[in-house]
Amino acid sequence: MIILKYLLIIFLIATAYLAISFKEELISIIFLSIFSITLTTLYLIHNAPDVALAEAVIGAGLNTAIFMTVISQVREGKSIFREDD
Amino acid sequence: MINNLVFVILFLLGFYAILVKKNLIKMVIGLNIMEGAIFYWFISITDRGGMIPIINGTQVTSQMNDPVPQALILTGIVIGASTSAFLLTLIIELNKFTNSTNPDQIGGMIED
Amino acid sequence: MSKAKNIFKIIILSLLGITLLVHFNKLPLQFEYANSIYHHITNNAVKETGSLNFVTAILYDYRAYDSLGESTIIFGAVSGIVLLLSRKTLPVSSHGLSFIVKRTFGMLTPFIFLFGIYIISHGHLSPGGGFQGGVILGSISIIFSIVYGSEFDYKRYSPTTKTLLETSGALLFIGLGLLGIVMGGNFLVNLKILNSGVGSLISAGSIPFINIGIGFKIGAGLAIIFYSMIQKTFKEEVNL
Repeated sequence: MIILKYLLIIFLIATAYLAISFKEELISIIFLSIFSITLTTLYLIHNAPDVALAEAVIGAGLNTAIFMTVISQVREGKSIFREDD
Repeated sequence: MINNLVFVILFLLGFYAILVKKNLIKMVIGLNIMEGAIFYWFISITDRGGMIPIINGTQVTSQMNDPVPQALILTGIVIGASTSAFLLTLIIELNKFTNSTNPDQIGGMIED
Repeated sequence: MSKAKNIFKIIILSLLGITLLVHFNKLPLQFEYANSIYHHITNNAVKETGSLNFVTAILYDYRAYDSLGESTIIFGAVSGIVLLLSRKTLPVSSHGLSFIVKRTFGMLTPFIFLFGIYIISHGHLSPGGGFQGGVILGSISIIFSIVYGSEFDYKRYSPTTKTLLETSGALLFIGLGLLGIVMGGNFLVNLKILNSGVGSLISAGSIPFINIGIGFKIGAGLAIIFYSMIQKTFKEEVNL
Protein backbone atom coordinates (compact mmCIF):
# COMPACT_ATOMS: atom_id res chain seq x y z
CA MET A 1 0.00 0.00 0.00
CA ILE A 2 2.80 2.39 0.80
CA ILE A 3 4.54 1.87 -2.54
CA LEU A 4 1.22 2.48 -4.33
CA LYS A 5 0.70 5.70 -2.36
CA TYR A 6 4.11 7.11 -3.26
CA LEU A 7 3.76 6.16 -6.92
CA LEU A 8 0.38 7.89 -7.08
CA ILE A 9 1.78 11.03 -5.42
CA ILE A 10 4.54 11.26 -8.05
CA PHE A 11 1.91 10.78 -10.78
CA LEU A 12 -0.22 13.52 -9.21
CA ILE A 13 2.59 16.07 -9.30
CA ALA A 14 3.51 15.14 -12.89
CA THR A 15 -0.10 15.51 -14.05
CA ALA A 16 -0.47 18.87 -12.34
CA TYR A 17 2.69 20.15 -14.01
CA LEU A 18 1.56 18.97 -17.44
CA ALA A 19 -1.88 20.51 -17.01
CA ILE A 20 -0.56 24.07 -17.03
CA SER A 21 2.11 23.82 -19.70
CA PHE A 22 0.38 23.42 -23.04
CA LYS A 23 -0.76 26.10 -25.38
CA GLU A 24 -3.94 24.34 -26.50
CA GLU A 25 -6.64 24.32 -23.85
CA LEU A 26 -8.22 20.96 -24.72
CA ILE A 27 -5.15 19.02 -23.54
CA SER A 28 -5.07 20.94 -20.25
CA ILE A 29 -8.65 20.03 -19.48
CA ILE A 30 -8.02 16.32 -20.07
CA PHE A 31 -5.05 16.45 -17.70
CA LEU A 32 -7.24 18.15 -15.11
CA SER A 33 -9.66 15.24 -15.37
CA ILE A 34 -6.81 12.74 -14.82
CA PHE A 35 -5.71 14.80 -11.79
CA SER A 36 -9.17 14.48 -10.32
CA ILE A 37 -9.32 10.70 -10.84
CA THR A 38 -5.91 10.20 -9.21
CA LEU A 39 -7.06 12.28 -6.26
CA THR A 40 -10.08 9.96 -5.87
CA THR A 41 -7.84 6.89 -5.60
CA LEU A 42 -5.65 8.65 -3.03
CA TYR A 43 -8.70 9.48 -0.92
CA LEU A 44 -9.62 5.77 -0.90
CA ILE A 45 -6.13 4.78 0.25
CA HIS A 46 -6.53 7.13 3.22
CA ASN A 47 -9.85 5.44 4.20
CA ALA A 48 -12.31 8.23 3.36
CA PRO A 49 -15.07 6.78 1.13
CA ASP A 50 -17.56 9.68 1.29
CA VAL A 51 -15.00 12.19 0.10
CA ALA A 52 -13.86 9.82 -2.67
CA LEU A 53 -17.42 9.43 -3.97
CA ALA A 54 -17.98 13.19 -3.99
CA GLU A 55 -14.71 13.90 -5.77
CA ALA A 56 -15.42 11.21 -8.38
CA VAL A 57 -18.85 12.51 -9.40
CA ILE A 58 -18.13 16.22 -9.09
CA GLY A 59 -14.49 16.55 -10.05
CA ALA A 60 -14.20 14.00 -12.80
CA GLY A 61 -17.73 14.19 -14.15
CA LEU A 62 -19.35 17.57 -13.87
CA ASN A 63 -16.33 19.85 -13.85
CA THR A 64 -14.95 18.35 -17.08
CA ALA A 65 -18.33 18.63 -18.83
CA ILE A 66 -18.67 22.33 -17.92
CA PHE A 67 -15.11 23.08 -19.05
CA MET A 68 -15.77 21.42 -22.40
CA THR A 69 -18.82 23.58 -23.13
CA VAL A 70 -16.78 26.70 -22.44
CA ILE A 71 -13.92 25.55 -24.70
CA SER A 72 -16.25 25.09 -27.65
CA GLN A 73 -17.26 28.76 -27.52
CA VAL A 74 -13.98 30.43 -26.69
CA ARG A 75 -11.34 29.09 -29.08
CA GLU A 76 -8.48 31.36 -30.00
CA GLY A 77 -8.64 32.17 -33.66
CA LYS A 78 -11.46 31.56 -36.06
CA SER A 79 -14.01 28.84 -35.53
CA ILE A 80 -16.27 27.68 -38.35
CA PHE A 81 -19.36 27.71 -36.16
CA ARG A 82 -19.08 31.26 -35.04
CA GLU A 83 -21.67 33.61 -36.50
CA ASP A 84 -22.65 37.13 -35.69
CA ASP A 85 -25.67 37.17 -33.39
CA MET B 1 6.88 15.63 6.49
CA ILE B 2 6.13 14.11 3.09
CA ASN B 3 2.56 15.40 3.23
CA ASN B 4 3.73 18.97 3.83
CA LEU B 5 6.17 18.80 0.91
CA VAL B 6 3.54 17.46 -1.51
CA PHE B 7 1.09 20.15 -0.43
CA VAL B 8 3.59 22.97 -0.92
CA ILE B 9 4.61 21.74 -4.38
CA LEU B 10 1.03 21.44 -5.65
CA PHE B 11 -0.04 24.73 -4.08
CA LEU B 12 2.84 26.60 -5.67
CA LEU B 13 2.13 25.00 -9.08
CA GLY B 14 -1.44 26.25 -8.99
CA PHE B 15 -0.41 29.67 -7.75
CA TYR B 16 2.21 29.97 -10.50
CA ALA B 17 -0.50 29.28 -13.07
CA ILE B 18 -2.61 32.13 -11.71
CA LEU B 19 0.26 34.63 -11.57
CA VAL B 20 2.19 34.05 -14.76
CA LYS B 21 -0.02 32.52 -17.44
CA LYS B 22 -1.73 34.78 -19.93
CA ASN B 23 -4.91 32.83 -20.54
CA LEU B 24 -8.03 33.14 -18.44
CA ILE B 25 -8.90 29.44 -18.65
CA LYS B 26 -5.44 28.48 -17.38
CA MET B 27 -6.12 30.64 -14.34
CA VAL B 28 -9.29 28.70 -13.53
CA ILE B 29 -7.40 25.41 -13.95
CA GLY B 30 -4.76 26.69 -11.52
CA LEU B 31 -7.47 27.54 -8.99
CA ASN B 32 -8.81 23.98 -9.21
CA ILE B 33 -5.32 22.54 -8.65
CA MET B 34 -4.85 24.70 -5.56
CA GLU B 35 -8.14 23.51 -4.10
CA GLY B 36 -7.25 19.87 -4.76
CA ALA B 37 -3.94 20.33 -2.94
CA ILE B 38 -5.61 21.79 0.16
CA PHE B 39 -8.24 19.05 0.38
CA TYR B 40 -5.66 16.30 -0.01
CA TRP B 41 -3.45 17.80 2.70
CA PHE B 42 -6.38 17.96 5.09
CA ILE B 43 -7.31 14.29 4.66
CA SER B 44 -3.74 13.01 4.79
CA ILE B 45 -2.83 14.92 7.97
CA THR B 46 -5.74 13.62 10.05
CA ASP B 47 -5.32 9.98 9.04
CA ARG B 48 -4.60 8.03 12.18
CA GLY B 49 -4.35 4.65 10.46
CA GLY B 50 -7.82 3.45 11.43
CA MET B 51 -10.80 1.97 9.63
CA ILE B 52 -13.49 3.79 7.68
CA PRO B 53 -15.93 5.70 9.93
CA ILE B 54 -19.02 3.54 9.34
CA ILE B 55 -20.29 0.95 11.81
CA ASN B 56 -20.62 -2.41 10.11
CA GLY B 57 -21.43 -5.10 12.61
CA THR B 58 -19.38 -5.14 15.77
CA GLN B 59 -16.46 -2.79 15.73
CA VAL B 60 -14.31 -1.01 18.24
CA THR B 61 -15.06 2.65 17.74
CA SER B 62 -11.78 3.91 19.08
CA GLN B 63 -9.89 2.64 16.03
CA MET B 64 -11.81 4.59 13.44
CA ASN B 65 -10.68 7.50 11.36
CA ASP B 66 -11.77 11.00 12.20
CA PRO B 67 -15.17 11.82 10.63
CA VAL B 68 -15.12 15.59 11.30
CA PRO B 69 -12.58 16.67 8.61
CA GLN B 70 -14.32 14.50 6.00
CA ALA B 71 -17.55 16.39 6.52
CA LEU B 72 -15.74 19.71 6.10
CA ILE B 73 -14.00 18.62 2.90
CA LEU B 74 -17.24 17.39 1.33
CA THR B 75 -18.75 20.85 1.67
CA GLY B 76 -15.58 22.36 0.25
CA ILE B 77 -15.62 20.22 -2.89
CA VAL B 78 -19.16 21.26 -3.83
CA ILE B 79 -18.45 24.95 -3.21
CA GLY B 80 -15.30 24.78 -5.35
CA ALA B 81 -17.20 23.30 -8.28
CA SER B 82 -19.93 25.95 -8.21
CA THR B 83 -17.34 28.75 -7.99
CA SER B 84 -15.58 27.37 -11.08
CA ALA B 85 -18.89 27.24 -12.97
CA PHE B 86 -19.61 30.88 -12.20
CA LEU B 87 -16.12 32.02 -13.22
CA LEU B 88 -16.46 30.21 -16.55
CA THR B 89 -19.76 31.98 -17.24
CA LEU B 90 -18.03 35.32 -16.81
CA ILE B 91 -15.34 34.20 -19.25
CA ILE B 92 -17.99 33.33 -21.85
CA GLU B 93 -19.56 36.77 -21.55
CA LEU B 94 -16.20 38.56 -21.76
CA ASN B 95 -15.31 36.62 -24.88
CA LYS B 96 -18.53 37.68 -26.58
CA PHE B 97 -17.67 41.35 -26.17
CA THR B 98 -13.92 41.44 -26.74
CA ASN B 99 -13.24 38.24 -28.73
CA SER B 100 -10.12 37.20 -26.82
CA THR B 101 -9.08 35.42 -23.63
CA ASN B 102 -5.94 37.40 -22.84
CA PRO B 103 -6.26 39.50 -19.67
CA ASP B 104 -3.73 42.10 -20.82
CA GLN B 105 -5.56 42.58 -24.08
CA ILE B 106 -8.94 42.80 -22.40
CA GLY B 107 -7.66 45.29 -19.86
CA GLY B 108 -6.35 47.53 -22.61
CA MET B 109 -9.55 47.41 -24.63
CA ILE B 110 -11.87 48.78 -21.97
CA GLU B 111 -11.46 52.53 -22.05
CA ASP B 112 -13.08 54.98 -19.74
CA MET C 1 10.67 44.48 -18.59
CA SER C 2 8.55 41.34 -18.63
CA LYS C 3 11.58 39.19 -17.82
CA ALA C 4 12.24 41.20 -14.66
CA LYS C 5 8.56 40.85 -13.75
CA ASN C 6 8.76 37.06 -14.18
CA ILE C 7 11.88 36.79 -11.99
CA PHE C 8 10.17 38.93 -9.34
CA LYS C 9 7.13 36.63 -9.37
CA ILE C 10 9.31 33.52 -9.02
CA ILE C 11 11.14 35.07 -6.04
CA ILE C 12 7.81 35.77 -4.33
CA LEU C 13 6.65 32.20 -5.00
CA SER C 14 9.79 30.65 -3.50
CA LEU C 15 9.58 32.87 -0.42
CA LEU C 16 5.98 31.76 0.09
CA GLY C 17 6.99 28.11 -0.30
CA ILE C 18 9.84 28.34 2.22
CA THR C 19 7.61 30.09 4.78
CA LEU C 20 4.89 27.46 4.43
CA LEU C 21 7.34 24.57 4.76
CA VAL C 22 9.13 25.96 7.82
CA HIS C 23 5.96 26.70 9.72
CA PHE C 24 4.01 23.58 8.76
CA ASN C 25 6.83 21.39 10.03
CA LYS C 26 6.26 22.76 13.52
CA LEU C 27 2.77 21.24 13.70
CA PRO C 28 2.54 18.07 15.84
CA LEU C 29 2.62 14.78 14.03
CA GLN C 30 -0.60 13.45 15.52
CA PHE C 31 -3.52 15.40 16.85
CA GLU C 32 -4.60 13.55 20.00
CA TYR C 33 -6.64 15.42 22.52
CA ALA C 34 -8.37 13.85 25.47
CA ASN C 35 -11.89 15.33 25.30
CA SER C 36 -12.27 16.20 21.64
CA ILE C 37 -15.33 16.01 19.40
CA TYR C 38 -13.98 12.76 17.93
CA HIS C 39 -14.52 10.85 21.17
CA HIS C 40 -17.97 12.30 21.74
CA ILE C 41 -19.22 11.54 18.25
CA THR C 42 -17.87 7.99 17.93
CA ASN C 43 -19.24 7.03 21.33
CA ASN C 44 -22.69 8.64 21.21
CA ALA C 45 -23.75 9.10 17.59
CA VAL C 46 -25.67 5.83 17.18
CA LYS C 47 -27.67 6.39 20.34
CA GLU C 48 -28.50 10.02 19.66
CA THR C 49 -29.21 9.99 15.91
CA GLY C 50 -29.70 6.38 14.88
CA SER C 51 -27.55 6.46 11.76
CA LEU C 52 -24.63 4.14 11.21
CA ASN C 53 -22.67 6.56 9.03
CA PHE C 54 -20.86 9.11 11.15
CA VAL C 55 -20.15 11.56 8.35
CA THR C 56 -23.86 11.69 7.42
CA ALA C 57 -24.75 12.16 11.09
CA ILE C 58 -22.41 15.15 11.28
CA LEU C 59 -23.57 16.73 8.01
CA TYR C 60 -27.32 16.37 8.48
CA ASP C 61 -27.91 16.27 12.22
CA TYR C 62 -25.16 17.87 14.28
CA ARG C 63 -24.26 20.53 11.68
CA ALA C 64 -27.37 20.67 9.50
CA TYR C 65 -27.23 24.46 9.53
CA ASP C 66 -24.00 24.37 7.50
CA SER C 67 -25.68 22.21 4.86
CA LEU C 68 -28.39 24.85 4.62
CA GLY C 69 -25.71 27.47 4.00
CA GLU C 70 -24.12 25.35 1.30
CA SER C 71 -27.48 24.95 -0.46
CA THR C 72 -27.81 28.74 -0.38
CA ILE C 73 -24.41 29.14 -2.04
CA ILE C 74 -25.43 26.78 -4.85
CA PHE C 75 -28.72 28.62 -5.24
CA GLY C 76 -26.81 31.89 -5.54
CA ALA C 77 -24.49 30.49 -8.21
CA VAL C 78 -27.40 29.07 -10.25
CA SER C 79 -29.26 32.38 -10.06
CA GLY C 80 -26.22 34.33 -11.19
CA ILE C 81 -25.58 32.03 -14.15
CA VAL C 82 -29.18 32.08 -15.32
CA LEU C 83 -29.25 35.88 -15.04
CA LEU C 84 -26.17 36.27 -17.22
CA LEU C 85 -26.91 33.70 -19.90
CA SER C 86 -30.65 33.48 -20.35
CA ARG C 87 -32.23 33.69 -23.76
CA LYS C 88 -35.68 33.55 -25.27
CA THR C 89 -35.21 31.15 -28.18
CA LEU C 90 -34.75 27.41 -28.11
CA PRO C 91 -31.11 26.52 -28.89
CA VAL C 92 -30.40 23.84 -31.42
CA SER C 93 -26.92 22.89 -30.49
CA SER C 94 -26.55 19.32 -31.61
CA HIS C 95 -28.49 16.64 -33.42
CA GLY C 96 -27.25 13.85 -31.19
CA LEU C 97 -24.74 11.11 -31.72
CA SER C 98 -25.03 8.01 -33.87
CA PHE C 99 -27.64 5.27 -33.66
CA ILE C 100 -25.58 2.78 -31.65
CA VAL C 101 -24.95 5.29 -28.87
CA LYS C 102 -28.62 6.26 -28.71
CA ARG C 103 -29.77 2.66 -28.35
CA THR C 104 -27.17 1.86 -25.70
CA PHE C 105 -28.08 4.83 -23.56
CA GLY C 106 -31.75 4.04 -23.98
CA MET C 107 -31.07 0.84 -22.08
CA LEU C 108 -28.64 2.33 -19.55
CA THR C 109 -30.49 5.42 -18.33
CA PRO C 110 -33.06 3.70 -16.05
CA PHE C 111 -30.22 1.98 -14.19
CA ILE C 112 -28.39 5.24 -13.67
CA PHE C 113 -31.58 6.72 -12.26
CA LEU C 114 -32.02 3.75 -9.91
CA PHE C 115 -28.42 4.02 -8.76
CA GLY C 116 -28.86 7.70 -7.95
CA ILE C 117 -31.99 7.04 -5.88
CA TYR C 118 -30.20 4.18 -4.06
CA ILE C 119 -27.30 6.40 -3.02
CA ILE C 120 -29.63 9.17 -1.82
CA SER C 121 -31.93 6.96 0.23
CA HIS C 122 -29.24 4.79 1.85
CA GLY C 123 -27.24 7.77 3.06
CA HIS C 124 -27.31 6.73 6.68
CA LEU C 125 -26.26 3.12 6.15
CA SER C 126 -23.44 3.23 3.59
CA PRO C 127 -21.18 5.86 2.03
CA GLY C 128 -23.24 8.37 0.09
CA GLY C 129 -25.83 10.91 1.01
CA GLY C 130 -27.68 13.78 -0.55
CA PHE C 131 -24.88 15.60 -2.35
CA GLN C 132 -23.37 12.67 -4.19
CA GLY C 133 -26.70 11.18 -5.26
CA GLY C 134 -27.99 14.56 -6.35
CA VAL C 135 -25.12 15.07 -8.77
CA ILE C 136 -25.75 11.60 -10.24
CA LEU C 137 -29.40 12.50 -10.84
CA GLY C 138 -28.39 15.79 -12.41
CA SER C 139 -26.08 14.08 -14.86
CA ILE C 140 -29.03 12.33 -16.51
CA SER C 141 -30.11 15.67 -17.97
CA ILE C 142 -26.56 16.23 -19.22
CA ILE C 143 -26.63 12.82 -20.92
CA PHE C 144 -29.92 13.69 -22.66
CA SER C 145 -28.45 16.94 -23.88
CA ILE C 146 -25.34 15.36 -25.36
CA VAL C 147 -26.58 12.04 -26.73
CA TYR C 148 -30.08 12.88 -27.97
CA GLY C 149 -29.78 16.55 -28.85
CA SER C 150 -30.81 19.63 -26.93
CA GLU C 151 -34.30 19.69 -28.40
CA PHE C 152 -35.12 16.33 -26.77
CA ASP C 153 -33.92 17.64 -23.43
CA TYR C 154 -36.06 20.74 -23.76
CA LYS C 155 -39.20 18.73 -24.43
CA ARG C 156 -38.50 16.11 -21.76
CA TYR C 157 -37.56 18.31 -18.84
CA SER C 158 -38.45 21.89 -19.60
CA PRO C 159 -36.74 24.58 -17.50
CA THR C 160 -40.02 25.09 -15.66
CA THR C 161 -39.93 21.51 -14.37
CA LYS C 162 -36.33 21.87 -13.25
CA THR C 163 -37.06 25.08 -11.38
CA LEU C 164 -40.06 23.44 -9.71
CA LEU C 165 -37.92 20.52 -8.53
CA GLU C 166 -35.25 22.79 -7.15
CA THR C 167 -37.59 24.98 -5.17
CA SER C 168 -39.54 22.01 -3.80
CA GLY C 169 -36.32 20.46 -2.53
CA ALA C 170 -35.33 23.67 -0.74
CA LEU C 171 -38.82 24.05 0.75
CA LEU C 172 -38.71 20.48 2.06
CA PHE C 173 -35.45 21.22 3.87
CA ILE C 174 -36.69 24.44 5.47
CA GLY C 175 -40.09 22.92 6.24
CA LEU C 176 -38.48 20.14 8.24
CA GLY C 177 -36.49 22.72 10.14
CA LEU C 178 -39.54 24.77 11.05
CA LEU C 179 -41.41 21.61 12.01
CA GLY C 180 -38.77 21.13 14.68
CA ILE C 181 -39.72 24.49 16.22
CA VAL C 182 -43.43 23.62 16.10
CA MET C 183 -42.86 20.35 17.92
CA GLY C 184 -41.06 22.04 20.76
CA GLY C 185 -37.32 22.00 20.09
CA ASN C 186 -34.70 23.96 18.22
CA PHE C 187 -34.45 24.74 14.50
CA LEU C 188 -33.52 21.60 12.48
CA VAL C 189 -33.66 19.21 15.44
CA ASN C 190 -33.87 15.52 14.60
CA LEU C 191 -37.53 14.43 14.83
CA LYS C 192 -37.84 10.76 15.58
CA ILE C 193 -41.22 10.06 14.05
CA LEU C 194 -40.77 6.92 11.90
CA ASN C 195 -38.34 4.66 13.66
CA SER C 196 -38.01 0.94 13.21
CA GLY C 197 -34.71 -0.05 14.67
CA VAL C 198 -31.12 0.85 14.07
CA GLY C 199 -29.79 -0.52 10.81
CA SER C 200 -32.95 -0.67 8.74
CA LEU C 201 -33.95 1.63 5.93
CA ILE C 202 -36.62 3.62 7.79
CA SER C 203 -34.69 4.86 10.78
CA ALA C 204 -32.60 7.82 11.88
CA GLY C 205 -35.49 10.24 12.21
CA SER C 206 -35.52 12.99 9.62
CA ILE C 207 -32.14 12.33 7.98
CA PRO C 208 -33.55 10.46 4.91
CA PHE C 209 -36.01 13.27 4.19
CA ILE C 210 -33.33 15.93 4.37
CA ASN C 211 -31.27 13.78 2.00
CA ILE C 212 -34.15 13.65 -0.52
CA GLY C 213 -34.64 17.40 -0.35
CA ILE C 214 -30.99 18.19 -0.89
CA GLY C 215 -30.70 15.57 -3.67
CA PHE C 216 -33.45 17.18 -5.72
CA LYS C 217 -32.09 20.66 -5.18
CA ILE C 218 -28.52 19.87 -6.22
CA GLY C 219 -29.54 17.73 -9.20
CA ALA C 220 -31.91 20.29 -10.64
CA GLY C 221 -29.47 23.14 -10.00
CA LEU C 222 -26.63 21.49 -11.89
CA ALA C 223 -28.92 20.55 -14.77
CA ILE C 224 -29.99 24.20 -15.05
CA ILE C 225 -26.35 25.32 -15.09
CA PHE C 226 -25.47 22.97 -17.95
CA TYR C 227 -28.56 23.84 -19.95
CA SER C 228 -27.81 27.56 -19.76
CA MET C 229 -24.23 27.21 -20.92
CA ILE C 230 -24.70 25.48 -24.30
CA GLN C 231 -25.24 27.83 -27.15
CA LYS C 232 -26.78 27.82 -30.54
CA THR C 233 -24.20 26.56 -33.00
CA PHE C 234 -26.31 25.41 -35.93
CA LYS C 235 -28.66 27.29 -38.15
CA GLU C 236 -31.81 25.30 -38.69
CA GLU C 237 -31.01 24.09 -42.15
CA VAL C 238 -27.35 23.21 -41.83
CA ASN C 239 -26.79 19.51 -42.27
CA LEU C 240 -23.54 18.26 -40.69
